[in-house]
Amino acid sequence: MYDTTRTESAVSQQDIKISARNVQVYYGDKHALKDVNVDIQDKTVTAFIGPSGCGKSTFLRCINRMNDTIDIASVKGEIRLDGEDIYDRRVDPVQLRAKVGMVFQKPNPFPKSIYDNVAYGPRIHGLSRNKAELDEIVEKSLRGAALWNEVKDRLAEPGTGLSGGQQQRLCIARAVATAPEVLLMDEPCSALDPIATGQVEELIDQLREQFSVVIVTHSMQQAARVSQKTAFFHLGNLVEYGATDDIFTKPQDSRTEAYISGRIG
Amino acid sequence: MTDMPLPQTGRAGARTKGSLLQADSRTRRRNAAEKRFRAYGVTAIAIAILALVFLLTTIIRDGASAFRQTYLSIPVTLDAEILDPQGNRDVAEMSRVLTLGYGRVLDAALDRSIGSLELNIPGLSEGDVDGIVSREASAQLRQRVLNDPELVGQTVELNVLVNGRIDGYFKGRVTMASAERDSNVSPQQLLLADALAERGLLVTRFNREFITNPDASDQRPEAAGIGVAIIGSVYMMLVVLFLAVPIGVAASIYLEEFAPKNRITDIIEVNISNLAAVPSIVFGILGLAVFINFAGLPQSAPIVGGLVLTLMTLPTIIIATRAALKAVPPSIRDAALGVGASKMQSVFHHVLPLAMPGILTGTIIGLAQALGETAPLLLIGMVAFVREYPGGPPEGLFDPASALPVQVYNWTQRSDPAFVERASGAIIVLLIFLLCMNLLAVYLRRRFERRW
Repeated sequence: MYDTTRTESAVSQQDIKISARNVQVYYGDKHALKDVNVDIQDKTVTAFIGPSGCGKSTFLRCINRMNDTIDIASVKGEIRLDGEDIYDRRVDPVQLRAKVGMVFQKPNPFPKSIYDNVAYGPRIHGLSRNKAELDEIVEKSLRGAALWNEVKDRLAEPGTGLSGGQQQRLCIARAVATAPEVLLMDEPCSALDPIATGQVEELIDQLREQFSVVIVTHSMQQAARVSQKTAFFHLGNLVEYGATDDIFTKPQDSRTEAYISGRIG
Repeated sequence: MTDMPLPQTGRAGARTKGSLLQADSRTRRRNAAEKRFRAYGVTAIAIAILALVFLLTTIIRDGASAFRQTYLSIPVTLDAEILDPQGNRDVAEMSRVLTLGYGRVLDAALDRSIGSLELNIPGLSEGDVDGIVSREASAQLRQRVLNDPELVGQTVELNVLVNGRIDGYFKGRVTMASAERDSNVSPQQLLLADALAERGLLVTRFNREFITNPDASDQRPEAAGIGVAIIGSVYMMLVVLFLAVPIGVAASIYLEEFAPKNRITDIIEVNISNLAAVPSIVFGILGLAVFINFAGLPQSAPIVGGLVLTLMTLPTIIIATRAALKAVPPSIRDAALGVGASKMQSVFHHVLPLAMPGILTGTIIGLAQALGETAPLLLIGMVAFVREYPGGPPEGLFDPASALPVQVYNWTQRSDPAFVERASGAIIVLLIFLLCMNLLAVYLRRRFERRW
């Protein structure tokens, strides 16, 4: 596609974190994702937008192989993380997911204490040698998720007792605690009120300093606010990918323009 | 589009304007239907409660008396000439004297002490006097003397069981009128019993022996107890607990979380559901063929009963465990996988703790079902008359034993009405066990229940 090659040349100076080539996803007989080619940069927020069922979440779940858990899903093509094919037979998806963290649409903290929620990842990956180090990781992650000041006095309380926005930030802290290189977010604000959304968006911008963030969103305003790059998906195709400003101000494809202006969706 | 106004076409869809203060006929019909439905529900629950109350009162009315028993206290002179003819107090020698000899000692003691009371009951024969104590009494006396040979030659105060009919007289089962027609008891014996009770020699008190004694033969219901049956049932529950729970839970976790969903697992799933519906007696036949005839395990043994009940309980446990695992929200699994937990870590750290209350409840209900099961045990020989206590576990698992529900079944077959009381008493004990297990299930569910 012409558009894609143009953007590729534009970003070639920067580090490319994830590069996808000819990715096809099938759910049984349904061809859910058709021929997706995209390069996602490091230390950038990339937004995936598009109408429901267009394949943006499907593609997101391909990046950390969460589609493996769905029996009928099959993925073809190649996705490279730092040049390594993540669908190679030798790749253990568990190891991959430690590198590529994920935050889900609905806040889903474990029914454990706030501390244990954040400490779970570092514990199973052996990131700390002792309790003090673990405490430090937990504090750093909670600070990173802008939640520390609200919960520092009640780390032993259950994570499920927090408000929706706090729960989602707790999930972000949990994802950050495993020291990932890429953070995937699947509509992280769809269950949150505008104030909580604002806090999470602010947080996403800060997280960009440390790693590459990929966010799926239904809200075009959100995509415009938080992302530097935007990809528009429609009916399983990646229609257009480019700098966020370009996509929203001068879309190349008529479908992108129609979606942005609210005529399809 | 629902929000678009429909064009008005004739009278269809138009509503007649009526007052809100008056229910229209449609609303009235709907309200009436709801009221009827509520009435059905209340009736159904009322019938269920009535049936339960009737059942419980019947059982308690019939069975409560099994926990009380009449005893006669008399001084018995243990005649050394009869009990220890060699005169050396050697237990091996003394055990040659059978219960018959002790019966003679007991009869003599009865005749003497009752004769000394000078009761003057017309028509009371010597046989009547000897017949008021249980046939079990001489066996009890023999056991006591063999345990402590030094008693021979002394006069000891004995508390002996009285005959089941006399016991029944104090519990209202036997009356003067029924004794007239009964060849096993005479009205004179009842008069004698009254006289003895007046003097405080005949007392009805709590019957600890009912819980601890083994079964007794048809002629001596007063001595029958559920000791062996309780031990047998407990042993079987242990076998079920140690086999069915780990196998069932492991199988469900594998099927639910790890197994690929394909034709083979579909077939397995359907078959597990089918197994849960197989009549329990079929499992008994299977147990007889496999464990006794093929594997050569002993008959009437709790190990075989436990194995059969394990097979029977497995589907229940698997179905309950899978339902509990299914009820854990998938978002928890996603969350665990998302932070890089392996499949097994996500199951054991997150899914299993959340499914625990459901698994425990299902398991305990499965165990309770197994505890009350009778039919398969009949086929593997647990219906046999067992008077010997099985040994301690694990060897005791291979000794013959009975089981509570089988004991109930067994007693209801016997002709003496005193066994009705015993059977109902055993049912009460069984129900108490089941109640305790269900309370435990409720407690564990509360204890482990967590919100997510």
